[in-house]
This record gives sequence, C-alpha cells and structure tokens, in this order.
Amino acid sequence: MSEVTKKRRPVKRWIVLALIAAGIYCAYFGPSILKPVSPTVVLPAEPIWPGVWFTNTMLATIIADILLILLAIGAFRFSKSDNLVPKGMYNAFEAIVEYLWNSVEGTTGKWARRIIPLVGTIFLLVFMVNMVKMVPGFESIGYLEAPHKTGLAWGTVKLFSIGSLPVYAIDPAQEIVYVSHEGEEAGTESHAEESHELCEACQVIPFLRGSATDLNFPLALAVIAVLMTQVFGVWAVGPGYFSKFLPVGRLVNGGIFGIIDFAVGFLELILEFAKILSFSFRLFGNIFAGVLLLSIVGALLPVVIPPGLYLFEVFFGIIQAYVFFLLATMFISMALVHHGGEQSQEHH
Amino acid sequence: MNDPTAFVAAFRLLGAGLAMLGAIGAGVGVGIAASGGVQAMGRNPDAAPIIQTNMILGMAFAEAVAIYALAVALIIIFAA
Repeated sequence: MSEVTKKRRPVKRWIVLALIAAGIYCAYFGPSILKPVSPTVVLPAEPIWPGVWFTNTMLATIIADILLILLAIGAFRFSKSDNLVPKGMYNAFEAIVEYLWNSVEGTTGKWARRIIPLVGTIFLLVFMVNMVKMVPGFESIGYLEAPHKTGLAWGTVKLFSIGSLPVYAIDPAQEIVYVSHEGEEAGTESHAEESHELCEACQVIPFLRGSATDLNFPLALAVIAVLMTQVFGVWAVGPGYFSKFLPVGRLVNGGIFGIIDFAVGFLELILEFAKILSFSFRLFGNIFAGVLLLSIVGALLPVVIPPGLYLFEVFFGIIQAYVFFLLATMFISMALVHHGGEQSQEHH
Repeated sequence: MNDPTAFVAAFRLLGAGLAMLGAIGAGVGVGIAASGGVQAMGRNPDAAPIIQTNMILGMAFAEAVAIYALAVALIIIFAA
C-alpha cells in the first residue's frame, strides 16, 4: 500500500506543475479566447433561457436537492445493510449527523428530536448548495445575450457545433463597451432572442449559478426558520407565547414598568423581522461576496491565487451553513423557554 | 464634468465604497471575539466546544454588520 503511494506521489506533483504551466499559458501566452474574462456582476437571478420564468439559481438548487436525496438514499441503504463499520460517504454522513445531533441536544435537550429535522435539513441543504456551486461550469456556461444595460460586453468566436447547435466562446480580446440606448433597447433584445448568433456584443447568461447568490434562496430559508421558531414557541409554551410580543397582562397590572414592557414586547416583534433580514443577508452577502472575489481575483491573477481562494470558499460554505444552523437552533431554543415577563432581555 | 450621468455613476461608486467602511467595526468585533474565545479555550480546554459555539455565534452577529454594509453597497451599485 505504501509502495503505491510512494510511486504515485511524484506523478501527482507533475500533474500539478503541468496544470500550473497550462494555466500560465492560457492566461498570458495562449490565444485570446483562453484568457480570463472579468465578469459582469448581475444581482438578480437570470432565466435559464430567454423568456422562461425558471431561473438558473433554481436549477442549481434542484441539482443540489437531487444530490442530497441520492446521498440520503445511499446512506439509508447502507444503514439497512449488515455492514456495521461505516465507510466512505456513509461515514461522512454519520459524522455530520452526529455532530448536528450533539449540538442540538446540547442547547435544546429533550426537544432535540423535534427540532433536528428542521435545522439539520437547513444545514445539509445550505452545505450542499455551497459545495455544488464550486463545480466548474457554474457561472461560465450559458447562452449568449446582448446586455440590457450599459457595460462591458465581448465579441464571440465560434468553436465547434454539436449537431446543429453551434458553440461559441466569448473573446476577451474583443472587448466592447456596450452603451444602451433607451429607445432602441427593446428592438435589440427581441433581435437577440430570434437568433443568438447575431448579437455582436454579447454577455454570457449562465445556465447554473450558486443558489445563495440569489437573495430569494436564503430569504426563503430564513422565513421558514423564523416561522418555525414561532411554531415551536407556541408548541412549548402554549398561546401564552405571544405575550412575549404583546404583554397585555403586564400593561394592566404592572404600572409604569408595564408600559416599558409593552414597548419591549414591540421591540421583540421587530427583532423577529430583523432575524429574517440578518439570516438572509448573512448567507447571501457571504456567498455573493465570495463569488465576486473569486471571479475578480481570478481575472486579475489567474494562476496562483484562485486555488487558495477556492479552499477559502469551501471553508466559508461550511461555516455559513453551520452559522445558519446554529442561529436557527439558538432562536428556537430561546423560544422554547417560558417567558415570565420579568426578564425580557434577549441579546441579539 | 459636463456629463451628469457619468457624474452620478462616479458618486454611486464612491458611495458604495464609503458604505463598506462599516466593515471596519465588524472586523474589529470579529477579532475581539476570536481573541477572547482563544484565550478562554487556552485557560479551560475542557470547555472548548461550548466556548467555540458561543464564539462562532458572537462572530456571526458581529459579522452581520459588515453584511449589512455590503448589502447597502450592492443596493447602491445595482438597485438604486
């Protein structure tokens, strides 16, 4: 076994060196279509084909979902088999689930069995989505379209065609500053939709884009997490849970402090919405900034830095999934506690 | 100077850059949280898991400020 690794190690080193040499060739010496392109930053998700409502981030989310379901089926089948020693993917799954379980049980105790399906799913989905977005082809393969706004666009070079479908590459050497004319815009757009070959200044609209780079994905998760916090609160405390937000009882017999408590309850209500905001913007901001950093630094210094940044992105994907999971668990565990009305300080 | 659109675009970029000044505080806060967490873990390694959880929680809250600044900057550049 050790002999094999000894033999293989130098080969791997040569592969890495060859890849670096290939990268230097592509970035600095090769033909211009191989050169890195400074990206056009687009905030909203784009449709996967002109005129379709289905966006590229939704497609990426569905791919992550399918992968996650396949992994779960594999893990389930492994757990049903006679193998007692976990190995491979199942081992990783078991480690993750065990870690999540310990973490949830540590904060919520006997409620952990009811809470872990929600927060565990959120963790696994965010984790998987953040890992899937690192696959090459994301944000780089797509259809060509004339830009809608003033900005940079590029000329195209035809590479080859699969059947009757021509494949183009954008050429960084033919950089065109596209200036949009308000009146003309509709005309160019429909023109580009009719035949994509005819846009002389093109942008790539990718088929796949990291799900969390669209605000809708983290926002949906945040809304689910915060709504479920209320559900768990009512489940644990009963209808009296809402006295946290509207402490009417304190207002009646609490005197001057009752009024203060009432105001604090109103603040709690606002804090619930602030939770949604901070949940969604945290995930979105981190992932979007990561993508921006990767593409911009990748265009400036294409050879040495990006692998390190990719490692950083993997780390951040895990951390963000963990933070989302941890905060959801914490908020739910806070909601589980009966709110007596005397100490209504919840640090945020 | 004679082109008002270019003028507005320039100030938009400037404003986005200024909005990101909010990241200074978040950076300081995350650094303080990490320093405190590491010191606590050094003093009491047995309590490391709990400290780590709370440290990451505090870092996430401190980082949220930078994320708000980033959101404002993105809105200034793309949405406004």
